Amino acid sequence: MEPILTVEELTKTYGGRGNHTAALRGLSFSVEPGEFVGIMGPSGSGKTTLLNCVSTIDVPSAGRITIDGVPLDRLKGKALARFRRERLGFIFQDCNLLDTLTGLENIALALTIGGAEPKMVERRAREAARLLGVEEVLGKFPYQMSGGQQQRVAAARAMVTRPALVLADEPTGALDSKSAGQLLEQLEELNRTAEATILMVTHDAFAASWCRRILFLRDGKLYRELSRADEDRQSFFREILAVVSRLGGEAEE
Amino acid sequence: MSGKLALRNVRRSFRDYAVYFVTLAFGVCLFYVFSALDDQSVIRLLAQNDNPSVEGIFMLMGVFSAFVAVVLAGLILYANRFLMKRRKRELGTYALLGMPTGQVSRILVEETLLIGLAALVSGIALGILGSWCLDRLTVAMFLATPGEVFAFHLSWKAAGKTAIYFGVIFLLVMVFTGVSVSRARLIDLIRSGRTNEEVARRSLGASAALFVLGCLCLGGAYTLLLTRGLLRIDPIWFGMLGLGTLGSFLIFRSLSGFLLRLTKGHPGYYKGLNMFVLRQWSGKVHTNCASNTVISILLLLAIGVTACSVGLNDTITATVSNQTPYDLTVLNYGRAGEYEETDVVALLRRTGFDTGENFAAARSVTVYYNDETVTGFSQAGFYAAVPLSSYNRLMEDRGLSTLTEEELPCRTPEAIVNGPAADGVVVVSDEAAARLRPRRQMVNITYRGQAQQVDEALRAALEEAEDFTGGLDIMLNHKLDNYYDLMGTKILVLYMGLYLGLVFLLTAAAVLALQQLSQASDNARRYQLLSKLGASEAMRRRALVSQVALAFLLPLALGVIHAVVGMQAANEVIRVMGKVNSAHSSLLTALFLLLIYGGYFLCTCLGAWRAVREER
Repeated sequence: MEPILTVEELTKTYGGRGNHTAALRGLSFSVEPGEFVGIMGPSGSGKTTLLNCVSTIDVPSAGRITIDGVPLDRLKGKALARFRRERLGFIFQDCNLLDTLTGLENIALALTIGGAEPKMVERRAREAARLLGVEEVLGKFPYQMSGGQQQRVAAARAMVTRPALVLADEPTGALDSKSAGQLLEQLEELNRTAEATILMVTHDAFAASWCRRILFLRDGKLYRELSRADEDRQSFFREILAVVSRLGGEAEE
Repeated sequence: MSGKLALRNVRRSFRDYAVYFVTLAFGVCLFYVFSALDDQSVIRLLAQNDNPSVEGIFMLMGVFSAFVAVVLAGLILYANRFLMKRRKRELGTYALLGMPTGQVSRILVEETLLIGLAALVSGIALGILGSWCLDRLTVAMFLATPGEVFAFHLSWKAAGKTAIYFGVIFLLVMVFTGVSVSRARLIDLIRSGRTNEEVARRSLGASAALFVLGCLCLGGAYTLLLTRGLLRIDPIWFGMLGLGTLGSFLIFRSLSGFLLRLTKGHPGYYKGLNMFVLRQWSGKVHTNCASNTVISILLLLAIGVTACSVGLNDTITATVSNQTPYDLTVLNYGRAGEYEETDVVALLRRTGFDTGENFAAARSVTVYYNDETVTGFSQAGFYAAVPLSSYNRLMEDRGLSTLTEEELPCRTPEAIVNGPAADGVVVVSDEAAARLRPRRQMVNITYRGQAQQVDEALRAALEEAEDFTGGLDIMLNHKLDNYYDLMGTKILVLYMGLYLGLVFLLTAAAVLALQQLSQASDNARRYQLLSKLGASEAMRRRALVSQVALAFLLPLALGVIHAVVGMQAANEVIRVMGKVNSAHSSLLTALFLLLIYGGYFLCTCLGAWRAVREER
C-alpha cells in the first residue's frame, strides 16, 4: 500500500544571514494509511516545525513532503487552501472552536467551508459527533462545555470531512488526565474502526501510549522509532518513558 | 517618560486610532464650518441688506451649535470607551510591570490629549477648506454674479469657539479616561480578552412574541403620529416617542433569535460561511440592541431633517417666485387714507430717473374694498377685489391663462402684484367692481437691463429727490428684496437641515463603524481559524463584508421605515405652506445618505478586513 504521508530529507532553517537556527535537519519518515503515529521529543526538537510543514502552514527550506500522492511544493494559493480543507483535518492544543457557534455548527463549519451539500451537512456532523461521543453538547456553545468536550468537538470537526490525514498538535495539552484519556480513547477507536490516519504531536508519554508507533525527534533529526505491536498500553507506556528519560538525559550533556 | 510612551503608542497604534481620529476631526471640521457661517460672503451680503432672517440664522446656529456639541461629545466619549476596551490588555501589562495606576492613567490622558490636539488642528484646517468650498457653493447657488461678492475670510471667532467647545469635550474625555483606569481592577484588565460573550437563548415563541409586541408598539406610535400630526406637543406626543423607541428596541432585541430560528431549518443555513456570518451578527445585534435603537433613531432624524429641509426649500422657492412676478410693484395708498390715482411712472421720472431707458413695461391696476354682500367672500380673508378686465390684462401681459365671467367670483389664481399684497384678493366681474369703493392703486413694472443696477439707480434717484411723492403714501416692493428675503430663508432652512442631518448621520455611521472595528481583534482570531480550516481568502472577505453590511443595513432599514412614516407627517406640516415635491427631496436625501453612510460602510469594510488579514 502506498503511504499516506512521505517526508524526505526535510530541512527547515530559520533566521537570515549569519544567524541560522536549524529546526529540522534532513528528517525522513513515512506514514501508512490507517496508522496512528505519535511524534515526541523535547522542546526545540522540531516537532512543531514538522507539523507546520506537513499542515502546509509553513514551507520547508529543503526536502519534500508528499501527502496522499500529492507533493506539497506543487500547491499554491487556492489549490493549497482547497487541499488543506479537503485532505487534512486539524486538532489544535487550544481547541479553537468558534465561540459564536454551537457544537453542532462548529462541526458543520468544516463541511460548509468545503462546499458540502447543505442537506447532508447536519446528518454528517451528527454522525461525527456520535463517533466522538459528544452528542449531548451539540446544542451548547463552547463556553458551556468542559475542556474535554470542547476538544472532542474539535476532533469531530477534524474528522467530519473524512480527511486523508488528521494532524493533532498536543491535543491533550490543556486537558486534565481524565478528559485526556477519554479523548485519546475516542481517537484510538476512530483509528481502528474508521481507519483514520492520525499524526499526533505530543510531549506527554501518557498521551503517546495510545499511538501504534512513535517517532522520537531530537535536534531536528529522527532519534528513535518505537512500535507498539501487540503490547498492552501499560508496558508500551513504560517503554516510552524509558526512551524519553534517555532522550532528556543525553540532551542535557 | 510617560509622555514618550504615549507618543509612541499613538504612532504605533495609529490604525486603531484612525477611526477615532477621523470622527473627531470630522466633527471639529463640521463644527467650524457652521460656526464660521456668519463670515460667509452671501450671509455678509444679506446682512448688508438688513435682512431680518440673518439675525434668525445666527441665533438658530448658536442654539444648534450647542446641541450638536452635546451630540458630538456623546459620540467622542463612546468612541473613547471602545478604544479603551481594545487596549485593556496593554494597560494591564503596564500595571503588571509595576507601573502605578496614576501613571497608567497619565499615559492615557496624554494620548487623548495628543490625539485631541491633532484632531483639533487638522479638523480646523479641514474646516477652513470646507468653509471655502461651502462659500463658493452658496455664492454659485444663490447669486447670478458671484465675482463681486466672493471674498473669503478666515473666521478666527469660529476657530476660537471650536477650540473652546472641543477643549471642554476633550477635558471631559480625559477625566473620564483617568477615572475609569484608576478604578479598573488588574484582573479584569488582564483577562479582558478571554471573557466570552453570553449568547442568550430564547425559545422561538418568546422571540416571536417579543417581535410582534415590538411591531405593535411601532404601529401604535405610527398611528398616533399620522392621526395627530407632527406638531402637537403634549404628554401623548412624548408617549408616542417612547412607544416608538420601545418598539424599535424590542424588534432589535428579538430579531436575532427570531431570524436565527427561522433560517436554521433552511438548507441555505449550512451553505458556505452563511452560518458563521449569521451567528457573528446575531450575537452582536443582541448585545448592541440599545445602540442599534439609538442609531435607527439618529438615522430617522438624519433622513427626516434632510428631506424636510430640502422639501421645505423647494416649497419656499416655488411659493415666493410665484409671489413676485414683477421687478417692481409700486403701491399707492393715496392721500391721507383716501384713494387717489396718479401716474406713478411720471412721478418717478420727475426725480431725474430715466424711466424710458430702464422700464420695459408698466401696468397700473386698481383694487377695490372687498364687500361680502357684493363679492360673497368674507372680508376677514380677502382685503380687496380686482375687476376681471384688470386681472385678465395682467395675465395677458405675462402670457398666463385668463379667467372668464362664469368662473367668478374666485380667489386670484396667480399673484397680481409683488409681495404680500397679492394675497387675499378676489376677482369679480367689472359690474360688481363698479359697486365697490376703490382702495389702492398698484403699478407693476418690469425692467429693461440688469435688475440690480436699475434698483440701485432708482434708489439713488429717490434718495436725492425730496418728497417725490407729492404727499401721497407710496411704497415700493422690489423683486430683488423679496429675493434676498427668500434667499435668507432658503439658506436658513437648507443649512440647518443639512447641518443637523449631517451630524446625525455622521454620528450613527461612526458608532456603527466603531462597533465593527472594535471587534476586530476578536474577529481576527475567528477568521484566522477559518483560514486554518481551509476557507479561501475570497470566502472570508465575503463573510466579513456581509457581516459588516448586516450591521449597517439593519438599523438603516428600521430608520428608513421610521423616516417614511415621519415624512408623511412632516409633509402635512409643509403642505400648509405650499406644494410638496417629495420625489425631489427623497432623491437628494438618498444621495446624501449613500455618500456618507456608504462611505463609512466602505471604510469600515476596509479597516475590518485589514485588521483580520494582518494578524496571521
